[in-house]
Amino acid sequence: MSWLIAGTGAVASVGGSTDEVFAALCAGHSGLAPLRGFDRRKYRARSAYEIDDRPAPGTDVPLRATGWLVRAVAEALADAGLGADLSDVPVIVGSGLRELRSAELGWRDGAPFDPAALHFGTALRERFGAAWTYTLANACAASLYALAMAGDLLDAGVADAVVVAGTDTLTESMFGALDRVQLEPPDRIRPFDVARRGTLLGDGAVAVVLRRDDHDSPAAARVRAVSMNCDAAHATAPDPRGIAAAIRMAHERAGVTASDLDLILLHGTGTALNDEAEAVALGEVFGAAVDGPLLTAVKSMTGHTSGGSGLLSVVVAARALATGRIPPTIGLREPVAEAARFRFVRDAGHAADLRLAQVDAFGFGGVNAVAVVERVGGPAGTQRVGGPAGTERVGGPAGTERVGGPTGVGR
Amino acid sequence: MAVPLPAPGDPIALTGVGLALPGIDHVTALRSATRGAVRAADPVEPAARIGRRGLRYLDRVSQLALCAGQDALRDAALLPADGGGAAAAGGSVAVVASSNLGSLDTVCELTSTIAEQTTDRVSPMALPNASSNVVAAVVAMRFGLRGPNLTFTNGPTSGLDAVFWAALLVTVGRCSHALVVGAETSNPVVARLLGRPAGELLDGAVALVVERAATADGRGASRLAELGRYARRPGVAACVDRVLAGAPGAPGIWFADSRPPGTAAVAAAPRVAGDDLTAAFGLASGALGVLQCAAAVAWFAAGGAAAALLTAGADTDDAVAGLLLRPSGRGPR
Repeated sequence: MSWLIAGTGAVASVGGSTDEVFAALCAGHSGLAPLRGFDRRKYRARSAYEIDDRPAPGTDVPLRATGWLVRAVAEALADAGLGADLSDVPVIVGSGLRELRSAELGWRDGAPFDPAALHFGTALRERFGAAWTYTLANACAASLYALAMAGDLLDAGVADAVVVAGTDTLTESMFGALDRVQLEPPDRIRPFDVARRGTLLGDGAVAVVLRRDDHDSPAAARVRAVSMNCDAAHATAPDPRGIAAAIRMAHERAGVTASDLDLILLHGTGTALNDEAEAVALGEVFGAAVDGPLLTAVKSMTGHTSGGSGLLSVVVAARALATGRIPPTIGLREPVAEAARFRFVRDAGHAADLRLAQVDAFGFGGVNAVAVVERVGGPAGTQRVGGPAGTERVGGPAGTERVGGPTGVGR
Repeated sequence: MAVPLPAPGDPIALTGVGLALPGIDHVTALRSATRGAVRAADPVEPAARIGRRGLRYLDRVSQLALCAGQDALRDAALLPADGGGAAAAGGSVAVVASSNLGSLDTVCELTSTIAEQTTDRVSPMALPNASSNVVAAVVAMRFGLRGPNLTFTNGPTSGLDAVFWAALLVTVGRCSHALVVGAETSNPVVARLLGRPAGELLDGAVALVVERAATADGRGASRLAELGRYARRPGVAACVDRVLAGAPGAPGIWFADSRPPGTAAVAAAPRVAGDDLTAAFGLASGALGVLQCAAAVAWFAAGGAAAALLTAGADTDDAVAGLLLRPSGRGPR
């Protein structure tokens, strides 16, 4: 069964709403900046993709991830034409690092810390009267898992609409542990590039309202299916076999084949292991059709927004399908050998007649989720640029990157 | 809402229980657990239960989860009674973990290390334990469970929420079986963050196997209990009203959280265990709901013939979750 995305909301380093985020990404704007809230001297990597809303540089405050979540949910509800009363609507929030940043600040600095704020239901009850809420801590696949679970609730007939969300902020523990294990500190995320050095975390929240598919209501996009599985192989390293199985499962559940897909929103974290495993898995599943779809990795501009990243890619995919515009993968100069035949969108937005998109999200613990998203309505009326399916580059020399987003959030 | 049924007359069943609790050697011992006996008992020793192999870099909450998980899989006959390794049909077994506090010690200690030194002094082996889904991941790896892998960190209700989601995954065909694991551990970091003495915190894990009754019957597995209605509502009264709506009779027992006001609907039920589970085992947090299910199974095994009402969370929390468990038509083993 398929489901409709009735409304979207997003907050990231590059913008404070779905419109702002999508426009910034299509323009190739990056949220990369020097670390804002941590003591830079403690880390080898000194940049991240943070939302610039702290009270003063170098200081940090609790509950930022919760604040963005509430903001993204409010935007999605308004976009869907729903009120702010969620007393009978399930809300599933996927988060890699939940409010652990607040726990860190409470533990180390004595900042106010309420254990009830570790899960997001507390804030959702206060703001929206929501009680049927779940915080799912599924690493970097969390919000795409949440989308799958929301669809299962709709399929089981226990709800008519579900709010799905993701939110994450940098924690010192995760940023620091990654800093310890990445061989050379990355200065930016360069997904699938031979010179990539690893990942850098980013801030962000995202929300969608998911409804049963009545094939009639206005919607941002249709979700055809979302798969969920687990590699059961390694604590942190991805397994191409598990990823390939998740991709196949998503195609099967959606009733599509690899050659039907026009666009892939990659997980693309810029780590050696992820990008290789993802490329190998795509190559295996798509086979000769791997040079069909266009591919892009928005983490090159948003940073790795952890558990929120999968659903953010879904929102981007929905906009891309509706408008024909595709955010580029910035900073990608020479793709790795495993991705040699991939048609990456680079350095400038493309316009293309897109119908079906695949969205990948993989996390620590081998958790994988893959979504298939479909355009609602006819082709986007945008001008097609260049040859078939918009494969031409439309300006901008290779590798240009504007650092610092056009719009901060908050303040 | 009711846990939806895969087919008429085909309820979702519990078919395995595994415990890693101090002083408890069998599920039936949950009936008589007391605070004194639990506190006097030695902490669970994972290496003695499942061997040392692979435990070295796992944090304690993951080790406890492995002990409980292995016993639940064995109890459900998905692992040989004396065997470990990969479970039968691991490709279609989901893991649904619940732990609110499990990774807090790693997270906070890393933060202190970085503040006092630099990331050069961080152990690379801490990375997996810094991820909140480490318990579910470790259980999946140990037993080869490649189905959906979910981790709930949903506050006091998290354990019951995990049981509901396990049932839902089975109902919609995401998996044939789901292994639910609720695990928490007691340590100085959690004690300080919660403002409670470490001795008041559960150090243990409980696991359950969930599947369709028809699946269990088809493979000759015993049903220990059947799942009824579930709800997550604001407040105990609203939750209990929703869970008991349409129930054929009053429940025979109510396993409640530590601050339950009574409601008329269950006033007749002997209020045996709710306070007693927390009193006996300490603040169980994400493990509470799973522990309640195990205690209900013990009550059924001792002859409890009516439904068991389980609630987790209090009026002061964001919500209260409730679940009704019924004794199975197939008697206890």
